[in-house]
Amino acid sequence: MKRRPSPTFLVISLCVTFLGLLGFENRARADEDDDLQRQIDTQKTGASDLEHLDTRHSATSELQRLRDWLAQAWDLRNKHEPDAAREVLDRCLAQGDLIRQIIAAAQIRSEVSDREATLQKTKDKIARQRKALLDAQMQKKVLEPRVGQ
Amino acid sequence: MTLRVHTMSRMLVASAIGASALGALVGLEACAPVPKPAALVSYEDLHRDPRTEVTRKQFPDLVASAEQLGQRAEKEWQSNNLDDSTRAALVAEIKLKTALARYDQAQSRARLQAIKTEQAEADLTLTEVEKDLGATTEQVKLMQQLSEARQAANEEKQRLAAQMSSQQQKTEQLSNQLTTEQKRTEAQVAVRTAETVDAAKYAAPEYGAATNMLAKADVEISQGNWQGAQASLEVARKSAEKATEIAKPIYEQAERATASKARDESLARDAAALPGVAVRIEPNGELQRLIISLGELFTRQQTTLEPGKDESLAPVAALISKYPSYPIQVIGHTDNRGRAGELIALSQARAQSVFSALVAKGVEAKRILVSGQGPNAPIADNKVAAGRKKNNRVEIIFLYH
Repeated sequence: MKRRPSPTFLVISLCVTFLGLLGFENRARADEDDDLQRQIDTQKTGASDLEHLDTRHSATSELQRLRDWLAQAWDLRNKHEPDAAREVLDRCLAQGDLIRQIIAAAQIRSEVSDREATLQKTKDKIARQRKALLDAQMQKKVLEPRVGQ
Repeated sequence: MTLRVHTMSRMLVASAIGASALGALVGLEACAPVPKPAALVSYEDLHRDPRTEVTRKQFPDLVASAEQLGQRAEKEWQSNNLDDSTRAALVAEIKLKTALARYDQAQSRARLQAIKTEQAEADLTLTEVEKDLGATTEQVKLMQQLSEARQAANEEKQRLAAQMSSQQQKTEQLSNQLTTEQKRTEAQVAVRTAETVDAAKYAAPEYGAATNMLAKADVEISQGNWQGAQASLEVARKSAEKATEIAKPIYEQAERATASKARDESLARDAAALPGVAVRIEPNGELQRLIISLGELFTRQQTTLEPGKDESLAPVAALISKYPSYPIQVIGHTDNRGRAGELIALSQARAQSVFSALVAKGVEAKRILVSGQGPNAPIADNKVAAGRKKNNRVEIIFLYH
């Protein structure tokens, strides 16, 4: 004959199960916060690196926007809104890529500008040397009859 | 009281109208569309950028993703989900900006490559131009140096030519001076030579012309007229030579005559001074004869000199040697006692003896002509002994004009 569990045992079991579930949820939330904090810190470090790379200040406004969004993500993380925080962090990743592209484009433009200046100097020098050559050729023509060549 | 009621009723009516209008406005506002989120507006502005179309060709996936998000933002906005619309628009804007930045990079890279190519070509062109310029400049420099050297050489040549011309003029002047001096000396020598033959006396016109031209030449020399002086001196020289030519034979003849006369006189004096001899001068046509008569040299009929008589011929031999230009005759004479032929032979033999004695004393034999005349040329009477003694003699005769 099978014995029925006592009500007290059931209540205790339910309490233990509830407390166990509650501890698991808290642990998961803490892991989520840590992960978000790690991502935010990583992106902040990346933002600082990008700021150092932006020597021509071509992405200042975009960098400021990134910092604002990272701050927003931190707030969302502190408010325990991980999904919203992750969405903002994803946007920050895209913004970081945009900043890198802007900085790279500015660097190439600067190099283009420098090389254009160099090319223009070379062209100016060619023009001067051609004029000097023309003058020398004229002088040579004047001198040729004198020296009989 | 009635007026207050009426006024209050008006106010109530106005309040009712105002309330109705306000309600209508609220109703209209509720029906109007919600304004677009700023992010969506910004995305749309960016999407209208003309570069978007060309960027699409290079980065189609990225632009398509941005446009997909933009459409989603538009739908969310139309559904009044402004937050979702904003989030989608922000990401769409980021992707579109990224695409544009990459497009800029590609464009800049292409431009950079083109610039590099152009720079390489420009460098090559510059090198060639500089090379040409260097070569041409070097040629010009060398030509300038050559031109300057030629100019300097021409100037030096001109200077040397001028110097040589000056030197030549000086040399020519010196040469003229020397030539003139030489001709003057020659003319003076010619005049002096003419003077030695007494040309002033024997060729007066020519000598006078020579001295006159010499004086004229001196004047011309003092004036520096070298050519004229040389011509005058040449004439003076020729005149002097001609005067010499004319005067010389006359002068020599006169001189010879004078000398001969003096010599003859000296001979006569010396002959007269000889001891123990008789001296006389006899004219014989143009010739004069100085006769030294030697007697008592031989005994009767003898042809050899008596002993001791040989020494008496020494002064005669010395006299003959002193005057070597006179031809000498040695002639023997006898008296008239005997046959004529024998007497002539005797006289010749005696003359020969005297000749031999004179030759032995140093007289040149070739100067002396020996002969015997026998009794044909007596100088005294043969009838008396004293006369015959005188006629036996040997005569030494000096012949002269």
